[in-house]
Amino acid sequence: MKHHFAIARFDKSIILYYNEKACGYLQQESSEGMDIGMEVFQTVVLLKSSFALLGIAAVIALIASGKQKFCNLSVNMICIVSSILMMAASGFIILSENQFVKIHIFDTAIPFLSLELAVDGLSALFLLILSILVFCISVYSIGYISHYFGKRNVGLFYFLYSTFILSMALVFTSSNAVFFYISWEAMSVLSYFLVIFESEIEKNQKAGILYIVMTHIGTAFLLIGFMISYSFTGSFDITGSSQAIPEGAKNIIFILYLLGFCTKAGAIPVHIWLPYAHPAAPSNVSALMSGVMIKTAIYGLVRFVMEFLGVQHTWWGVLIIVIGVLSAFLGVAYALMEHDMKRLLAYHSVENIGIILIGLGISFISFNGGNTIIGSMALTASLLHTLNHALFKGGLFLGAGSIHYATHTKDIEKLGGLIRTMPVTALFVLCFSLAISAIIPFNGFVSEWLTFLSIFTYVAPGQAGINIILIIAVATLGMAGALAAACFVKFYGISFLGLPRTNQAAEAREVSAPMNIAMGIIGGICLLIGLLPMQAIRTIDKVTFSLTGASSVTQLGQGFIDPWISLDNTGSSISPAEIFAALAVVSLLTLIAVRIIGGKYLERRYGSWDCGFEALNPRMQYTATGFSKPIKIVFRILFRPSRKTELKGGSRYQPDEIEYTTTSESIFEKYAYRPAFQQIITFSRRAKFFVQTGKIHNYLIYIFIAVLALMAYNRFV
Amino acid sequence: MNYLIYMVLQITVIIVFAPLISGVIRKIKALSQKRKGAPVFQMYYDLHKLFRKTSVVSETSSWIFKAAPYVFFSTAVTAALLVPVSTLIPQPSSLPGDFIVMVSVLALGRFFMMLAGLDTGSTFGGMGSSREALISSLIEPSILVSLFTIALITGSTSLSRILFVVNSSENQLPLQVSILIFLALLVIIIAETARIPVDDPSTHLELTMVHEAMILEYSGRHLALMEYGAAVKQLTLITLLVNILLPFDGMISQTGMMAILLSLLFYAAKVLMAAVLIALIEINCVKLKLFSIPNLAALAFILSFVAFLQFFVLGGNHV
Repeated sequence: MKHHFAIARFDKSIILYYNEKACGYLQQESSEGMDIGMEVFQTVVLLKSSFALLGIAAVIALIASGKQKFCNLSVNMICIVSSILMMAASGFIILSENQFVKIHIFDTAIPFLSLELAVDGLSALFLLILSILVFCISVYSIGYISHYFGKRNVGLFYFLYSTFILSMALVFTSSNAVFFYISWEAMSVLSYFLVIFESEIEKNQKAGILYIVMTHIGTAFLLIGFMISYSFTGSFDITGSSQAIPEGAKNIIFILYLLGFCTKAGAIPVHIWLPYAHPAAPSNVSALMSGVMIKTAIYGLVRFVMEFLGVQHTWWGVLIIVIGVLSAFLGVAYALMEHDMKRLLAYHSVENIGIILIGLGISFISFNGGNTIIGSMALTASLLHTLNHALFKGGLFLGAGSIHYATHTKDIEKLGGLIRTMPVTALFVLCFSLAISAIIPFNGFVSEWLTFLSIFTYVAPGQAGINIILIIAVATLGMAGALAAACFVKFYGISFLGLPRTNQAAEAREVSAPMNIAMGIIGGICLLIGLLPMQAIRTIDKVTFSLTGASSVTQLGQGFIDPWISLDNTGSSISPAEIFAALAVVSLLTLIAVRIIGGKYLERRYGSWDCGFEALNPRMQYTATGFSKPIKIVFRILFRPSRKTELKGGSRYQPDEIEYTTTSESIFEKYAYRPAFQQIITFSRRAKFFVQTGKIHNYLIYIFIAVLALMAYNRFV
Repeated sequence: MNYLIYMVLQITVIIVFAPLISGVIRKIKALSQKRKGAPVFQMYYDLHKLFRKTSVVSETSSWIFKAAPYVFFSTAVTAALLVPVSTLIPQPSSLPGDFIVMVSVLALGRFFMMLAGLDTGSTFGGMGSSREALISSLIEPSILVSLFTIALITGSTSLSRILFVVNSSENQLPLQVSILIFLALLVIIIAETARIPVDDPSTHLELTMVHEAMILEYSGRHLALMEYGAAVKQLTLITLLVNILLPFDGMISQTGMMAILLSLLFYAAKVLMAAVLIALIEINCVKLKLFSIPNLAALAFILSFVAFLQFFVLGGNHV
């Protein structure tokens, strides 16, 4: 163990620990001990410098806020460098299995409040997701933020942006619950400021209020959970043992954590803030919020429930699956009704969180039942979908940002024909749309396939209740996939295809190179994971292995970069790359065959069929409202659609103008949240009248009663 | 070698005979109406004619419009490669994909077809796409649940493996599950191939059409590819139905090429039976209005769901 001291000499603040598994490894191969030590040392330096760079970026943003162009370029460059360092560090940690790095930064006199970062495989995976997205979004921001020049305080924006990234990184790495809580709070508050960044718009302010209220309700549950846990274990250490907590309390803590984290994740029924807050933020921030911030909840569920509490009952998993099924189906259903593209994407985040939760729930029930291999496969599926969703949803939000940048509108009913004016953006958005609809050959398909497969391997005769829930999960995944495809056909078809519906859309220009490059990078990764999924699965499997001690890759195919995903025991194997190759070959052969049979391709350009009116104009095209109307009618129980036709001017039989309004609303808002808000407001008014009377003697009585109660508590308890 | 035989067999059987099945169905319908009807090979003549004609392309359309027919056709063919017409070629011989891949590949083709409908900027295309989106999302859960149930019984999600297991002589699907899944798949095929009572392939009335509305703007070779692709998709789904639920390959005792030939004969007979069945349904049904289709989809879902319950909740043994 000599090398510990050697490293401690380099940097006194670094303390190295290995967990037990790694210790065994260390003793076995002590001759290589020095190398491992060096690797850890590198990781620590990389992480520290990447965090420090984010801090520096924040400072520069504030100092240089006067020079907007300099500020834009320098902060983004620093964030890019920082994300590369973070990527390298998390890559090191994931690839060297079981490595566990603790970095001690400072102590305070206040108990429990010491900043100590602990990075294991799970943290590293989420850091990796964060760093990939930060890299791409920072490249994107170089171009995107230019429309704020001269209009808004760019320095302030970048201060919030870089500290927001830092706070997320700290959430993933803090080693004790108090510090986790502080970072979590910082993340919420900073993102609140980003949500209301365009604060002159009243809608954004309302969205901000709703967001900060909901997120604090969630955080309150977490805080209570941490406190109950502390009262039994006497420690806030995240990696500690939960043996001291009795079973009943574990159930309560689980429910509290579930509520708290689901609020952050935007799972139904506590999703209410998400479709308001994500669209309000600038698009690059929406990409970060949807790609990474809501995933902190998944991190929390794995870290605090799965790892710390340990899965105690099957119903925990079942509850998570039920929430997942609800979110997956309702998320996509509500997304279909939206015409604001960013709200549409925000609802899709609800859907994808649902899919992630289904995977997580299956892994919970499998671990509880002792099926560690299925459990680790489901967890891998769930974490892979977390990564995939971060990528394609990040990409989609960036795409929406590009459209907004070019046309100044977020309403898809006002767009159309953008594929001709913005061909590059159109291509990438098409890739992301296919990815999110779980269509081969993109990455969304791979993680949904793995989720299916984990359900497939779990279902067995004789466990009636769970089987029924699982088959409903299968049906939901199928329906959500098809509805997502419908939704993205709508989004893509209405905004990119056809004729431009307004001048804004007609005058759109392709966005600048950095924005397209950033989307291209994400698109490339999406395609790469889609075609060669084994590499990604193997990487994530290392993380699940370090968490659970079971690896599903032994079940899955062999070879390092082979394109196959296979599951030996069931003979199910797929190879997205080969399927894609088959598609490509068939297309090529078709082209050749058609050329041989049909001869030279002759084409005549002519107008679309206009029913003989000879005046096809953009207003005659199908609208987004029209496109989703059949679905709205079929699922009217969810949307409560209503319509109103108003005739204006002229006679009743020949009016000058007809105004047709159609509305739909979320049943959760109508039947749960709005009445609840009303109740709270009424209650507060009453309380004001009876309790807060404004008379001194009443208040004195309150104080007296409080003192008496405290004395009694001290005396008897 | 097996792989090569498999590929050649799949491609020839499905691509060559797909238009014939459409022709047979049309012929039976015509005969039932006391008409002579077009010859069963009519679709081949039509396709040949269309391939040679000039394409008229809408001025408002983009590259999506021209790419969509190729994508649609190749996804249909790729899906066809996943469903073996004969199970007697030694395993593993098919493309590495399972039923989830098949669904996803078909979804890719549908995605492009729906986009093409919106690309021309006319109302018809959008209407067709919108209805197709509804129907496909209603029918998707039934496809997955019914195939999932079969996959669970046979122990694999791979279609060639499933077909191999149900066709081997000692294993048979339980009869009650077979019947339920057969009915569910039948509804699914009708919905997926745009047939009465879900869609009417023979009209051009804007109120009744779904598939035809989406491809209204197509002409020449693009139209030919769309029609051909739809025929290939239809035969693929029929193959899936008959090879899973009428497993006659198990009865063949010969080996080698002879066995494959015999199984192909059986296959032809089975497909013909399915074509007659679909034609009979078309003859005896009226087209449902759009908002009654959810009931039909719910029926298919319930059938597949009950098949699942039958086997996995009420108990049952793995084959």
